[in-house]
Amino acid sequence: MSPRALFFAASVFGLMALQTPAQADVDPEALVEPIAEYKLYVLDNLDQFVSHTEKFTQAIEAGDLERAQALYAPTRVYYERIEPIAELFADLDASIDAREDDYEHGVEDPDFTGFHRLEYGLFKEQTTQGFTPYAKQLMTDVNDLESRVQDLTFPPAQVVGGAAALMEEVAATKVSGEEDRYSHTDLWDFQGNVDGSQKIFELFKPLVAEEDPAFVDRVEKNFAAVEDTLAHYRHETNNPESGFVSYEKVSETDRRAFVGPVTVLAEDLATLRGKLGL
Amino acid sequence: MPPSSPPSARLLKLGILASAVLMLAALGLFALSLNGRDHGDGDVRLVVTAQGCEPRELSVPAGETRFSIVNDSQRAIEWEILDGVMVLEERENIAPGLHQPLTATLAEGDYAMTCGLLSNPHGTLHVTANDDAPAVALSRQDFIAPLAEYKVYLTLQTRRLIEATETLHQAITAGELDTARMAYREARLIDQRLAMATGLYSDLDERLNARADYFAEREQDPEFVGFHRLAQGLFETGSTDGLIPIATQLLEDTRTLGERLRHQAIPPSQLANGSARVLKAWHAHAIDSKTLNAHELLDLQGLTAGAEKIVTLLAPLLERQAPDALEGLQAQLARLQQDLPEKSNIAPGAKRSSAVDRDALLTDTHALADTLDKLDRTLALNG
Repeated sequence: MSPRALFFAASVFGLMALQTPAQADVDPEALVEPIAEYKLYVLDNLDQFVSHTEKFTQAIEAGDLERAQALYAPTRVYYERIEPIAELFADLDASIDAREDDYEHGVEDPDFTGFHRLEYGLFKEQTTQGFTPYAKQLMTDVNDLESRVQDLTFPPAQVVGGAAALMEEVAATKVSGEEDRYSHTDLWDFQGNVDGSQKIFELFKPLVAEEDPAFVDRVEKNFAAVEDTLAHYRHETNNPESGFVSYEKVSETDRRAFVGPVTVLAEDLATLRGKLGL
Repeated sequence: MPPSSPPSARLLKLGILASAVLMLAALGLFALSLNGRDHGDGDVRLVVTAQGCEPRELSVPAGETRFSIVNDSQRAIEWEILDGVMVLEERENIAPGLHQPLTATLAEGDYAMTCGLLSNPHGTLHVTANDDAPAVALSRQDFIAPLAEYKVYLTLQTRRLIEATETLHQAITAGELDTARMAYREARLIDQRLAMATGLYSDLDERLNARADYFAEREQDPEFVGFHRLAQGLFETGSTDGLIPIATQLLEDTRTLGERLRHQAIPPSQLANGSARVLKAWHAHAIDSKTLNAHELLDLQGLTAGAEKIVTLLAPLLERQAPDALEGLQAQLARLQQDLPEKSNIAPGAKRSSAVDRDALLTDTHALADTLDKLDRTLALNG
């Protein structure tokens, strides 16, 4: 065998190795049902998101600071769960969930609205004074989001890719505590992102379980690890409704402990699209 | 053989050969990956600075493009391609100083690009016509999204149908004629939106939707149940007497329909074909009556809404495959919707149907059904 031929053979072999994980034996029609189920999940969460946002914004308009503070995190959770879809609407994602550092003039920027604008008022300035317009705008935006999502045909690649995107987001910009820097309710957002990612994984799991049981096993173990760490910081360990302690109370070591399983999850889940032929 | 005995020379040789092949394979892979990097020269490069995109405007040919996004700002950024307000493609969390690739397949048109800070101006991405790009035939993958959305539609409509049927059942049980009539109209309208899918099950379709004409003893036939049987009682006899068992059966059947549809796979070819079929069935019945009564108009209202959903779902595929056919289809649908009277004007029992242009509705329905019927060929779907 000439070196050239050998190199060619080796390249082909290398190519095959490259291609194998992307090859999918999944029948495209098998994806229809989990995608439909996912939309139903998103619609259910949106329904909850709307009714929680109503209570949250009413508390602000009524000047009830304590109640508004208490409702901030439990309302956001629904948005965090469905972010892969909610983010598809760039205008609403900006007006609902942008952070001050997305704007040149930060908190003072006139375009800075939504949850984090309200967070600044409720937790940093400790007031609801003057926030009624932001509350009203948020309600309008959330209603708008619901009606747009109802009409949206979900793009399959973005749905499946959403599982990894949510975990990447946690690893890249949430573990640091920058998301909820005034309320320190970051763990609620984590939980929302993890729930949303896990839901997508669970829906598509039956389609990959047979072909790659090791993958499924690894992902499940890492989800369990993240869940365990989260449960540790709940007011009541076994009650998901009980809420979380302030992120300030999460030790540096535990913050770093999130990064490991979350990063592995993000990497593993990023292969899901290929496994499903998308 | 004792476990510690040395491997034979032959085995060793084989092992060496095998590892050599593996190493070469790894080398090949490495070379390939280098190669891939060299091809990065063909990437469309875009730099995001603290102020925005450089360049502000890009122009690429339609088809697949690989972008390389360089983050030359001080903070992590995301880069998105927007169609209006919708995100088509995005690359998140590009760290300062690094670059990331993004491959996008884009159709001709103008798009916006986000450029770092939300307060930065959007860039413009012109995608120009590209005759070199091969026409891509639709694949089975292209039908995943519309089929999933149709399934969501069926699920949500079935939930509403069951709710409406529950109200209907309650009203009949309570002997409240007016409430029952109202609930009937609501339920029947939803039932007709689902007509194409219900048609997949002959037993349920018969129990829910069969007309008296299909039974040996017509109105007197004990097998004659479902919506038409209820209509006969509620609107012709004008009484809820004796309708309780029929309403109970109807409720049970709508629940069964919901359960079956939940796990039903709908073949892509059924979307257009099935819609055509139910419209034709309505047409065949309506052409025999001199005037269209309120029930027939209500049914057509429901069927048209069902067809509209299908047209909306197939529109993005048709737009790629046969834009002219899409335009024709949408025009026919619009005409039918325009000629249909408002829902409030077609309350069964109210004799308002004389104002309806029967001939126009028959023509419209026939035309729409005809076009829908040919759609599978247009979409290259057979069987």
